[in-house]
Amino acid sequence: MLKTLIEAFALISTWEVIIAMFAASVYGLVIGSLPGLSATMATALLVPVTFYLSPIAAIATIVAASSMAIFSGDIPGALLRIPGTPASAAYADEAYAMTRKGQAELALGAGVWFSAVGGIAGVLSLMILAPPLAEIALSFSTFEYFWLALLGLMCATLVARSSPVKAIAGMFLGLLVSCIGIENPGGVPRFTFGLTDLFGGIEPIPALVGVFAVAQVMRAMLTPEPPPLPRRKFGSIMAGQWRLTKLYHWQMTRGNIVGIIIGVLPGAGADMAAWVSYAMSKRFSKEPEKFGTGHVEGLVEAGASNNASIASGWVPSLLFGIPGDTIAAIAIGVLYMKGLNPGPTLFTEKASSMYAIYLMFIIANIMMIPLGIAMIRVAAYILLAPRSAIMPVIMLCCAVGSFAIGNNMFGVVTVAAFGVIGYVMEANGYPVAAMVLGIVMGTMVEQAFVTSLIKSDGSILPFFERPVAAILAAMAIGALLWPVMVWVWRKMKPVQTAVATSR
Amino acid sequence: MRLPDSVTGSFLVVLGAAAAYGGWILPPVPGQPVGPNVFPLVIGSGLALCGLAIVFGIGHSFEEEEELIPLEDGQAAAAPPPQGKLEGKLYGLRALLPPALLLFYVVAADRLGFIITAAIMVYVTSTALGAKWKLALPLAALSPFAIHLIFGKLLRVPLPAGLLPTPW
Repeated sequence: MLKTLIEAFALISTWEVIIAMFAASVYGLVIGSLPGLSATMATALLVPVTFYLSPIAAIATIVAASSMAIFSGDIPGALLRIPGTPASAAYADEAYAMTRKGQAELALGAGVWFSAVGGIAGVLSLMILAPPLAEIALSFSTFEYFWLALLGLMCATLVARSSPVKAIAGMFLGLLVSCIGIENPGGVPRFTFGLTDLFGGIEPIPALVGVFAVAQVMRAMLTPEPPPLPRRKFGSIMAGQWRLTKLYHWQMTRGNIVGIIIGVLPGAGADMAAWVSYAMSKRFSKEPEKFGTGHVEGLVEAGASNNASIASGWVPSLLFGIPGDTIAAIAIGVLYMKGLNPGPTLFTEKASSMYAIYLMFIIANIMMIPLGIAMIRVAAYILLAPRSAIMPVIMLCCAVGSFAIGNNMFGVVTVAAFGVIGYVMEANGYPVAAMVLGIVMGTMVEQAFVTSLIKSDGSILPFFERPVAAILAAMAIGALLWPVMVWVWRKMKPVQTAVATSR
Repeated sequence: MRLPDSVTGSFLVVLGAAAAYGGWILPPVPGQPVGPNVFPLVIGSGLALCGLAIVFGIGHSFEEEEELIPLEDGQAAAAPPPQGKLEGKLYGLRALLPPALLLFYVVAADRLGFIITAAIMVYVTSTALGAKWKLALPLAALSPFAIHLIFGKLLRVPLPAGLLPTPW
């Protein structure tokens, strides 16, 4: 193990990795702090850059940018009451209330400090959980993989804050998109409509850039510009954080644990972790009446939770190629591109690369403290940048970045098309994250499904025969039927009440 | 762009049915029970079923209004919408400007070159978002060069030179 650790150190201590990580951190902090630009968008726009980096440097940029962006979303949340990323939305009101009480330093300091602590807890979970799970996963056959992938897709739909039926429809749409091209069991052109550009299928990355970045620029066209930040001078950012850590150590631990669990669940990312943790903090607090008036307790728990979920979201991604959240979905694309194909064998064959990923996460979270403090101090200047200056540049990056992916203009067309699809879906309550998961996982699901069917000679019984497969099948089918069951139950309830009252 | 559930649901039914039919007519792999046709059939049927459920309002009761998404809450939402005169049916079409400009990039980049095309895109987007020419013009003049420096020079992405080659 020590040898692997030394190898991992050697992998990350190159100038390329160090510079890439530092640059990505600054980039993540800036993008995350700009309202309307999410951490996912920051990561998606970074992908074209990763093409030109070594595998480790590429992963380093994703790790650093995503961790930093999730934290820096807290900055405009606290100062303007406009969360920079959806993950900070859960406690933006609370942080803003603290700013109004003159405690902006404490709120922002708690953001930095507990994000870093949460991030490191997430890495520890990745280090502890992933290897034993990889051992188990090595015995998985295509049947288990099929159910696991399906369960991953279903989880994404269950946790969506919209109608589960719409979420499932979004997932099917994504799977349908993944059907396009000639990469299928028969090797025949499928849904290509005679267009040679579609033979290679739809790449997940331009689709992601489209739904997250272009759709955001489209929304900006119709929404009013946020107000500028009032100038203020900050005192010491980290003062009082150690006292908070001692006072709220249990809340912090609970936030970390909840974040880790939510991160590991496929499809539920940092946004969900922050909402759940903030709600839990309020529910179990000794002083729930203080929530909403500028009370730091919820910030501690939710701030730790959303960053913890970032690292733990990599557990299913690295083990099974099933993304924990949309950022991990992008990371999977990069992993495949760089020859680090996700799967349990990654832990045995490329152990040093795995350790390098762990180390990078730890370093990113440590770097977050000084860089985060610096960012808070310059936030006033960055937040002055008008949206009409940022959005055009973002769009230009979308065009060039998507062109760079395949060096052809079809990438740009894909980005434009998915921008429209993402915009329309979001406007009508269809969660785009479910579709993204469908696109990313489609090929894997189909491969596992068809290989299993060929192995079983067309029979579906073997899908339920192996014990682990049977358990996973029960969970996946349960998740699929859950909305229907709740709907039936709700329909029955008024009838029962009516019968009871008539007696 | 908010459409009634019956419209989006019906669209999904049609799309699902078309996908299932498209899968159905694909040639099977000889000697193999399953081929490229099975997956689209399953997905198409699933999509059509979901579409039907949406048309009939199943699951609608689960829907929550989006809470606090960036840019749309609090003070921002309280501010009056810009360019009140343009409010109306056509106002929503502004959202289509970004994808339209991306398609413009596809058509024009090879002929005009990256710098000119990018400058036009930046200028149009910036003014559409309310920037005055004092901001939009320098932004359109400088940002294409900055992006070209990063992507074209440092990352070696082959960006078309067209009518205006870059100095590097």
